[in-house]
Amino acid sequence: MLQYMIILLDDTSTSFCHYETTKTERNLISLDNLRKAIRLAMIENVTAQMVYPAYELPQEYYEVINTIDHSDIAPLEQKNENSDVIVLKDWQYNPPKGCVAVVRATLAALLEHGEVVNEWLKTVARLNVVITDVDTFTDDDQKQYADFLQKLGKGVEQLFMNGLSPQLNLLTDRMMLTSMNNCGAGDTCITLAPNGKFYICPAFYYENPDDNVGDLEQGINIPNKQLYKLGYAPICRECDSWHCKRCVWLNRKLTLEVNTPSHEQCVMAHTERNASRQLMVSIREKGIFLPDKELIPEIDYLDPFNKIKK
Amino acid sequence: MSFLTAKKAIDYILTSSLFFGRQKAVILDFIGGEPLLEVELIDKICDYFKLQTYKKGHKWFNAYRINLTTNGLNYHTRKVRKFIEKNITHLSITITIDGNEIKHDLNRVYKNSGKGSYKNVLKNIPLWLQDFKDIGTKVTISSADIPYIKESVLHLYSLGIHEVNINVVFEDVWQPGDDKRFEDQLMQLADAIIDGEYYKDFACSFFSEQIGKPLDPELENQNWCGAGKMLSVDAAGNFYPCTRFAAYSLREKRPIIIGNVHDGIDKNKLRPFLTLDRTTQSPAKCLECEVASGCAWCQGENYDAADTPTIYQRATAICLMHKARVRANNYYWNRLFRKLELEGEREHWEDNKPQSNEIIC
Repeated sequence: MLQYMIILLDDTSTSFCHYETTKTERNLISLDNLRKAIRLAMIENVTAQMVYPAYELPQEYYEVINTIDHSDIAPLEQKNENSDVIVLKDWQYNPPKGCVAVVRATLAALLEHGEVVNEWLKTVARLNVVITDVDTFTDDDQKQYADFLQKLGKGVEQLFMNGLSPQLNLLTDRMMLTSMNNCGAGDTCITLAPNGKFYICPAFYYENPDDNVGDLEQGINIPNKQLYKLGYAPICRECDSWHCKRCVWLNRKLTLEVNTPSHEQCVMAHTERNASRQLMVSIREKGIFLPDKELIPEIDYLDPFNKIKK
Repeated sequence: MSFLTAKKAIDYILTSSLFFGRQKAVILDFIGGEPLLEVELIDKICDYFKLQTYKKGHKWFNAYRINLTTNGLNYHTRKVRKFIEKNITHLSITITIDGNEIKHDLNRVYKNSGKGSYKNVLKNIPLWLQDFKDIGTKVTISSADIPYIKESVLHLYSLGIHEVNINVVFEDVWQPGDDKRFEDQLMQLADAIIDGEYYKDFACSFFSEQIGKPLDPELENQNWCGAGKMLSVDAAGNFYPCTRFAAYSLREKRPIIIGNVHDGIDKNKLRPFLTLDRTTQSPAKCLECEVASGCAWCQGENYDAADTPTIYQRATAICLMHKARVRANNYYWNRLFRKLELEGEREHWEDNKPQSNEIIC
């Protein structure tokens, strides 16, 4: 069931996920389309998520946006006291205290800035790290990534020991979850682009604007909608890397099917899952920790495809 | 296909454990166009395969089959005879004779004259049956073929072909009333097979004891089609999960290329094929169907007919035709078993019944 409508306010709205904002020319959504989108979100009873570009919008836009209860995803340059999620584009600028921050980085950049991650976790409410080159993740990368997460885990553990409750998607989400919690594109989440058309997610818009699934006039029509649901994903429904983004855009890009994850995405998610398990074990050795949560089980695979095909 | 491309394909499959590692044997299947037009190239490719398996001490040395499906027109030529004699112990050749003359010539005509090829194919059938005594043939049925089903199967039996593997095409070609006409033909065929006692020595895959039953969503959840478990190579050296995913086989969709002879197989593009199951791709009406067993599908046609570029949407154009087949099939087995029981022959027949294969591609 649809729960969220992501509204890209401009063609240059910040990316907060795996895709790149490939458009460089400003193209602001029309006020008329914005009003229609807000009305539709109210009728469908879904939460609107506004995604901002790196420039200030005309005042009347803020007035229209404020006619609906919504959340704001903004680049650091355009943050304000109402921004719910702040997207950082590099490691130089510290996120504001208490915010939910997203940092997009290549794996190499992440490995280089591990210390920064630990520092930021001391002040932010939550940090989402989005790795932007999942598709080139190799077996060697996996080993490096596992080592990196293990080291990062020691810092996170120390924060817990100090009485903080750090939230880092790569390490703490899986510990807290009891079932799949993924991006939901095409299932619980739909995206409206500045052209007034709907897309499975922003990535589908930037990849091909003709690849829309309806518009503000005709409504949303997602062919083969069931394929975006967990039950129709043979690998994912057998998987317990519950924090995995399960990015349907990456799925389609690498396997040609929205319901089938690539080997790289699975291995990356399982590397995080296993690091999360290790962190949970390590903290529990020192005292009671998440007593209502089951310990993440030990497994002997990094790709559930291998489990299915055994 | 150039010989160089073929060599690269052979080299890849002999060294790739990703795709072929667990297979104890391999089938080299040559399809065209018309493969016997290039029998010398095929011979050269087979020789290269044999030589390389010998040199490498590969497990497939002597554990291979060569398959060809031909229109049969060149079957008698000297170079084809030479190839057959050389490879006979590892070779299967199927000649596609579609039935009686009318039915065969509906679909199989010479390019320039438009004349049917039946008479020329027929000349080579005795030679073919002499080479491959127990071989069957493969017949497909489209809308225009329906009136000729009974006569075609009986005609193929009369030629000495003991196994007729036959199925309706998966494409949406069916007209209103085709299911009823199809059922009538199968009922007539059932009577003819039983009254003529062809059931003792001949098989027709339309009639199967296994079809027409509900399927368990968990225990009977396997995919029907083998796409992704075979490897198809085109003339340019591109790999496909089945030849049905090559551009020349598709009406609406872009080809699904899963690699090539230079770079090998992209394992990510194989994952959707290897994790396909029945329930994930089937609509609710198929999952709830009380006569679901034996209702086949072709992954390539599913893809080509789907609303989005996916192999996970089952095409159901044959739904009414399958149900018609099930009704005639029920009639056939009820009548045959009753006859055998009354004659005290049931047990003997069960022990000696001819086999047919559900070959759908």
